[in-house]
Amino acid sequence: MTLGSAMNAQADYFSRVIRQAGGLVLLALVPAVFTAGFHPRRPAWSQDEIRVPEVTWSAAQRWRGWVLPVDARSSAAFASQHLPGALPLNEAQWEEQLPAVINAWRPGARVLVYCASQGCETSQSVARRLQREMGIGDVFVLKGGWSAWLDAQPQRR
Amino acid sequence: MARRATAATVMEWTARIVLAGVFLYAGGVKALDPAGFATAIDHYRILPYPAAAACADYLPWLELICGLGVFWRRIRPGAVAVLFGLDLVFSAAIASAWVRGLDISCGCFGADEAGRFPLVLSLARSVSLALLCAWLLWREKRRQPWPHEIPGR
Repeated sequence: MTLGSAMNAQADYFSRVIRQAGGLVLLALVPAVFTAGFHPRRPAWSQDEIRVPEVTWSAAQRWRGWVLPVDARSSAAFASQHLPGALPLNEAQWEEQLPAVINAWRPGARVLVYCASQGCETSQSVARRLQREMGIGDVFVLKGGWSAWLDAQPQRR
Repeated sequence: MARRATAATVMEWTARIVLAGVFLYAGGVKALDPAGFATAIDHYRILPYPAAAACADYLPWLELICGLGVFWRRIRPGAVAVLFGLDLVFSAAIASAWVRGLDISCGCFGADEAGRFPLVLSLARSVSLALLCAWLLWREKRRQPWPHEIPGR
């Protein structure tokens, strides 16, 4: 094979790969359109539709009635420290941890979900899933999470 | 020589099965729950939410189609190239989340453990898959010239 024909073969190879990749990328659009239109678990187009309301710790302290804190951090973080009365519930161990939350919850109770800090979003996921799967309406996310709660505690001397 | 070629072929098929298996599983899990996947993408804080939702509708199917494409010789290089691109994008996203200190889960297989350490493991997995894709692409390229260019075929 001459150098010229080898280079042609290489160019042919790359253009084939790009054509194949382009075809696959376009092909995936077909089921994606059906997913966006008809999938029973299709995502909402606006985040406002799915965002669970956030509440600060000082506002949550003024709540009256039963409040169930739910810790959405990892099980190791929960085992280390957690809010008084909190139960662990993270998405990785959802099936194992959910029954305890169901048992602890009672009608009319507010659920306050928290994760590590303002930078985490797992509390939003867990809160949404509780609303969706358990049909619990009064679910809130603690603004600033565990670190905000720690900051709000009186300094130990 | 023949034994070496056989070993390389076995390694190549093993790599293809691993690559396709990972993407077929990941795509299948996410195709069943695009809303959950949209949330996972949104947690990275890279895309506006509507774009995350569109990606959640689209990416699982691209993973599934390319995962199947790995087994079809006619489109194999294209399928592996797309998976290589996806792995690079996923690796960059995970690395950026780790650098920014986000306490999120990878979202690669639906509900994963959240936290910094699981994120590093996800990054290692994603980079390994990218390397696997690169190796498979290199093997495909080595097969030049294409069958139709070989005299007598």
